[in-house]
Parts: sequence; structure tokens; C-alpha cells
Amino acid sequence: MGNNGPLLPHPAMITKIVDETGDVRTFQVVFDDPARMENFSNKPGQVAQLSVFGLGEATISITSSPTRRGLLEFSVKKVGRLTTALHQLEEGCRIGIRGPYGNHFPYDQMVGRDILFIGGGIGLAPLRSLIDFILAEENRQRYGTVDIIYGARSADDLCFKNDIMERWPTAPRTVVHTTVDRGDRSWNGHVGFVPSYLEEINPEPENRIAITCGPPIMIKFVLQVLEKMGYTDQQIITTLELKMKCGIGKCGRCNIGSSFVCLDGPVFTLAQLKQMPPEF
Amino acid sequence: MSEKKTPSQITAKLREECRRLLETGTVHTVIGFARGSLPDRTVPVFITNPKDVEHLTWNPFCAANLSKYLLDHRRPGGKAAIIVKGCDSRGIVRLLQDNQILRDQVHILGIPCRGQYDHRKIPGLVAGETGPPDPESAALVHPELLFEKCAYCENPTPVIYDLLLDDAVEPIAGSNGRFAEITALEEKTALEKSAYWDDHFNRCLRCYACRNACPACTCRECVFDQFDPDWVSKRNNLSENTAFHLIRAFHVAGRCVDCGECDRVCPVQIPLRLLNRKIIKDLDELFEAPTPGTDINVKPALGDFNSRDPDKFH
Amino acid sequence: MPAILKKDKLQALLSGLSRAYKLVLPVRENGMTYFKPYQTGLAIDRDYINTAMSPKEFLFPQTEKMLSFKYREGAEILITGAEPQPEKLAVFGARSCDLAGIAALDPVFGGRFPDPQYSTRRDRVLLVGLGCRRASSTCFCRAFNIDPLSCNGADIAVVELEDCFSVEARTDKGHAQLANFSQLLGEDNSGTVETSLSGAREAIDTSFDGIPDPAGIKDFLDRQFELPYWENIASRCLGCGICTYICPTCHCFDIFDVTRGKPDGNRYRCWDSCMFPDFTGMAGGHNPRPTPKERVRNRFMHKLKYHLDRYEIGGCVGCGRCVEKCPVNLDIRQVINDINKLQGGEN
Repeated sequence: MGNNGPLLPHPAMITKIVDETGDVRTFQVVFDDPARMENFSNKPGQVAQLSVFGLGEATISITSSPTRRGLLEFSVKKVGRLTTALHQLEEGCRIGIRGPYGNHFPYDQMVGRDILFIGGGIGLAPLRSLIDFILAEENRQRYGTVDIIYGARSADDLCFKNDIMERWPTAPRTVVHTTVDRGDRSWNGHVGFVPSYLEEINPEPENRIAITCGPPIMIKFVLQVLEKMGYTDQQIITTLELKMKCGIGKCGRCNIGSSFVCLDGPVFTLAQLKQMPPEF
Repeated sequence: MSEKKTPSQITAKLREECRRLLETGTVHTVIGFARGSLPDRTVPVFITNPKDVEHLTWNPFCAANLSKYLLDHRRPGGKAAIIVKGCDSRGIVRLLQDNQILRDQVHILGIPCRGQYDHRKIPGLVAGETGPPDPESAALVHPELLFEKCAYCENPTPVIYDLLLDDAVEPIAGSNGRFAEITALEEKTALEKSAYWDDHFNRCLRCYACRNACPACTCRECVFDQFDPDWVSKRNNLSENTAFHLIRAFHVAGRCVDCGECDRVCPVQIPLRLLNRKIIKDLDELFEAPTPGTDINVKPALGDFNSRDPDKFH
Repeated sequence: MPAILKKDKLQALLSGLSRAYKLVLPVRENGMTYFKPYQTGLAIDRDYINTAMSPKEFLFPQTEKMLSFKYREGAEILITGAEPQPEKLAVFGARSCDLAGIAALDPVFGGRFPDPQYSTRRDRVLLVGLGCRRASSTCFCRAFNIDPLSCNGADIAVVELEDCFSVEARTDKGHAQLANFSQLLGEDNSGTVETSLSGAREAIDTSFDGIPDPAGIKDFLDRQFELPYWENIASRCLGCGICTYICPTCHCFDIFDVTRGKPDGNRYRCWDSCMFPDFTGMAGGHNPRPTPKERVRNRFMHKLKYHLDRYEIGGCVGCGRCVEKCPVNLDIRQVINDINKLQGGEN
């Protein structure tokens, strides 16, 4: 093939589609080329560029952990042209994938610590790659307890229902706290916004890392609560979402100050974020 | 008839008037010109503090049409003052007719204009050679530096204003008629016209300065920014460049006030106003329509129906 | 050791270069100077100071096909990357500022993910620099320690002197090319070049109109982000793409597909501008740079700080094109001066 190098996508087939909510779907994809599938070495937190040929590309975080071999999972919320087109594809359809791009969660530095995940809505998708990485049999022993606080607007809007209700609560030393902003007859669990639920649960900062992802307004209040609870800027990690095109730090679009989200992020500690201009 | 004011006399009067308007709270902002970073440039300024009126200036390098900035300074119940020449004032009529601003949101300070110098005609301006305009002189010292459009100026005196800062100026009767430039183009063969415009559109950068500067281009979502359908992409090629310019000319047809900003802002000097002026000529022939913006009571020809409109069906 | 090319031999040199390369040179057209492909007899613009467009377009074209995609049987897609152009390009007349611009772009397109389309062109291009005789009213390369006579970064450096051109190879590629023109070039036995160069240097140094001092800018901008100043200057910005498209160091691009209604089509990479409102607009409506203030601030901070932060090379080369062409006279030299004043106020 020609000379495009890092901007050339590779064909992959959609092997399974799961409807998470009314507007979120998880796509399982497998590269056409088995060697490429075998060698694709993403780390938790990285993203990829998905091509719908004819329309263009979108940056989607890889929601499957690299410990799951032979496939990649992407959870896509239908918000724009490209994601709408993705939602119209069926199992057996082909898309293009290039990546992995971006940095990753600093899982090596988190060894021996307790991990607190705080997710909102589709924000759970990038966190899930790290959750499953940590919970994987080969990794579990190296990490402390895992607490997952997750919320969505309503019960219907909860993503990864099977993971939050069945798989994760039964994993070793793992607790899942789920909440919804607005309860309804189908919901028996906690009702309340994620930041207030976090404050209620009050996980202590001692030896813990907090990782959060979700709507900007949720992140804003979560950070306030975490700081109030005594977490230092180094203990708080988030992953940002900004419009990306090339994914390789050349098209200039995803800069926050001197940083490129596609190269220096999307994972940032709060300490790093505070050094950057508030333009995201 | 009194002596024509010099640019520096007009500047003084302008500052005095704007200071008064701001101090009395009659207006919240004055939109005008200040000296630029080079002797042959001016910049748009937005003055809210009466002390800052000292920055205002008037000289033959005040070519920009400031009227579109009114859209950034609209306040319900408030008024912005704006300094306009004749061609610019048609831009205000455009905004008023398009309901982009209300008449009581703008206080118009009109300056009858005898022509503006095109700084691009001054090669490597060096002080002492073709120096900065002598602010004391009322006469146009360098008629050869004027914009092409000034030779065909229909409204040297603003067509709408609250205050005129100088005596009215009569249009110079063009020796070859209003549309001499257009007739010259029309007389080319189809192949010659094609070559003429291809040569220009090939240089187009697709920077969209022409569209952004245009007081008739005020759509919230421009057709060229739409994805669905994707009328033009970001590709730069003759076909797309031509499509962009011709479509835009037709989109503003009947509303373009021939202020010439599109022409002035173009970084590669495509004579865009000829496209618009051709349409204005056609509208004159078809509908006896005056140049849009000349008279606020005359609706845009393509936005109005008259039973005497040409009708080739019968 | 520079060689001498007699002035009447220039055309022969150009003609010779055009046989080995696809040659572009500065030619006057429609009142401005552009790099145009050489044709026999095409005369170089002897009076130009700089071209309207920087030579970045030869390494990073405004419109570039990246790949094509074809749907095949069984929902398979064949993705074919665009083949690099076979021809080698020579740019005659690249000014020192533009050569510095290329040096600023090299690390952008290199780095961890080298861009093959850029690097193929970059490796193949022959850059023939042309030292400047005088500055225009908008030139300020000196502000960034760029020497207009130096032609740093060129393969071959040419300087026009009183009676001749001095011609010097700077790279192996340049040496190899000049070896083909030994019959046109003479040795400088009497030190003509040396003497003439000092005259040329004096001429150019005195022709600058006022050079801003960006020395303290980055430090100040490191500390100050939310300045009311940006709102002031952004209020006149038209939000067009002129400054970015003509800038030798701007590199932003968009990637999109074109199919014309069929399933098969091509993917393109084309210049884009951070000054366009939708540049950072996301599906769903969020835009981190929603008004001209954020975009204007981002542009100047990129040129005066961010590029320097990432690559240790300045993002502005003082070519002055943006100053010349901005329809509202948003002058980066003025911005530097204004920021220096703000910094003075800070102290």
C-alpha cells in the first residue's frame, strides 16, 4: 500500500453490536488482517480513529482492556454526523481503524494503591479499559481495592449494565456504587448526582488514586468534592475529550496551550491540568 | 458653500462629537478608525471610554466598511455610534433591511468621502516618497492611488445618517457610465471570460475573508459551512473555488450593496466586486432596481414582487 | 567558499536546474509575486522582496489526497494510500525567513509519527535560498535572529551583489547540484564576494523599519493567560483564514472524505485555520474556543510561545505576510510591543 504511514486506516469488521442505551452502542471490531489484530498493542486509556469511509473519522476511546485479545471494543454515543452513521452500521460491516493514539492511564504507578473510579454517562467507556485491565486475572493482585462510582441521567442511560450489575460487583475486592440523577419505577438503587454520591460514600484519600471521566459539569463538581476530601492534585486523574483529527500531533486542532491532547493526553493528572490554560 | 474640511478638521470634529456622545451616555460604543501600525493603514476601533476618542482618526486610508461590526455591538435598548462613508452607509441599510439591527440601535456619523487610497498601489511605502497623506490637505493629492471602485462612486455622501461631518459631496460623473467595467467584461467571448475568471479563481486561497467582510453575508449557518450537504469541501481547486464565488455572488444578489469590501480584503486581489456589479447591472436592466442599499425604502429586487416585473411566460 | 555567478548567467542556471528538477521561481503576476513553474524564457521577478505565498505549499500542499477507498465484494474495503509524486522539486528564491519557516515545520511533521508525504517531499526538494537586498515595511525577521543574508537551511545559497551573484553550496545535495554548473560559476579570486557582502549587509540592516523585541514575551505569556488585551484586539478580527494560510509556519489541516454520492471515494488532507469558528467545535456543541478572543489569543500564543515550547524553534519568522495582508491590520509586531508594555506595567 501507498505512502501514508500513520494516517492510513486499516479495514476492520464489526463483529458484534450491543445497545447500551438509547443513544450509546458498543461495537466489537476485529481487524481484517489477523497479524494486525494480534499485534495491536493498546494500553488502557488510549484512543483510536474510526473511519466511516465516505464521511470521515472520529476519535473514540478504546473501551476494551488490552488483556482481551483478538478484538477491540468502542462505545459510541450518537451525537453528530459520523457517530450517527456509525450507529447505522450492522454486524458484518467494515470500518477503518488507526491507532492506538494518546498516552495511557499510568497503571504502573498505580500498583499497590486502591483505585477509585468516578464515571458519568458515556464517560465510563475510557475508564472501563483500565477497570478490566486491573480486574484481569494476571493483574488483580498488583492493585488494592477497586471502587467504582457510576451514574447516569436515568436507569436507561446507564452504560455497560452487565458490567456494573453482574461482572464487576462479583470481581475480587471490587465494589460498584451506581446512581441515577432521576429515579423511576424500574430503579431500586441510589438516586442522586454523582458528585454528591461521591461525597456520601466518602472514600478516604489515603493510598488511593481517583480517576474520573464524564460530562464537564460532573467533572467540575467531582474535582471540587475530591479536593474537599483531601485528595492531592497528583492523586486525581482524568481523561479529556477534545476534537481530534490526525491523532498524531500535526493538524493542530486539539491543543490546550502547548499540549496536544492526542500526544500528551488524553489522560492528565489534575496537577498537569492546572498547569494548562483552561481551554477545554 | 464653505471650504471643504481637511481630514484633520474632520478628525477633530469627529472626536468632539464622539466624546459628547459617550459622555452623555447617548451611545455605549463608538465604532470608528484609528491609525494603524503602518502610515498607510487604519484599524477599526471600538471605543467605550470618552477619553479614548483621541484614538479616532479620519484620512484617505479609512477604506474598511465598519458597518458589519454593528452586529457585535447590538444591545437591546442601547445605541452604538458608527463612522461611515457613502458606500459603508449602504451596508447599514443592508443590515437594517435584513433586520440584523434596529434603526434605534445605531447612531450614524456620516463622512462624505472623496475617495480612499488603496495601500496596495503604494509599493513599499517609504517615508518621504509617496508619504502618508498630508492631513492638512483637503484635496486628493494622489488620485492615481484611489481604489478602482471610487471612480464609479454613486454615493460619496452617506445615504443614511444622524449627523454629517462635512458638506455633501456630489458623485463624479463617470465618463464611461456606471457599468463601464462590466460592459468591457461582457464584450469578451465566452472563452476569454472563462480564461479571465479561471486565472483569478486559481489564485483563490479559500480564506473566506470576502464572505466574512460582507455586510450581506449574515447567515447564522453559512451554506459553505454546512456538512450536509457538503456543497464545497476544503479542497482548493478551480472547480470548488469557482463554485464558491459564483454561489456566493448569487446568494447576495439583490442584497449586495457594492461596498467593495470583498475586493479590498482579498489577499490575492481577485476583482470580486465585478461579479457583484454585473448582477447589479442585470437587476438594473431587469427590474430597474437601483444599487441595493441606496434607498432604505426600496426593497431588494429579488425579495420583492411587483406586478410590472418582467415575465417571459406570457 | 562562495563562487561567483555573473548576472547574465542566471537564466542559464535556472534553465539547467529545470532539467534536473521541476523548478519553481518567483514570478510577478497580477501585481504580486508567486512561485511559478519554470518555462523557457520565464523571467524571475528581480524586484520582489517576498512571494505572496510561502514555499510551505511545496512541502505541505493545500490540498493533498491521502488515500482512496473502494468497496468490494462481501463488504470488503480496499484502502490504498496515495502514491508519492515522482518528481523532484527545486525552489529557487526561498528567503531566509521562509527557510526558517521550513525549519519550524520539520519537527511538526517529524517526531514520533513521521509524516511520509511531507518527508518524501522534504527529502527530495532542492532549496535554493536567495539573500535579501532590502526589507519591506512589514519585514521583521531580525526580531527572531534570522539573518536575511544567511539563507540558513538552504541547499544552495545565492546572494545578489552589486555586480554578480554569490553562490554557495551548503549541503551535500547542494554540492552535488552545483558540480553540474561548474562552467557557469567562477572562483572569487579577488575577494569580491567578501567586500560586496559587507555592503549588502549594511544596505539590508538599515532598511528595516522598526523591529519588535520578543525576548521577554514567552516568559510573560507563560505566566499570563487571561489578559483583557486579547478581547481588545480580537474585536476587529474577521475570523478569515488569511494569516494562517499565508504563514510559513502554520500547519493546521483537516481530514475528510469526498465521494460525490458514490460509495467509493478519496480522503483528503487540506489546510484548515484555527481562526475559523468551527475549528475546535465538537459534535454535541461544545467549543473550547467559542469566540474570536480565544482564537486570536490561541494564534498569537502559538506563534510566540506554544511552538517554542514544543519544538524549541520559534513559531514566527518575521516574514511579515500576515501584517501585509490582514484586512484589519492586526499586526503581530504591534502585539509584541503591546505585550512588552503590559509586561512593563507588571513590573
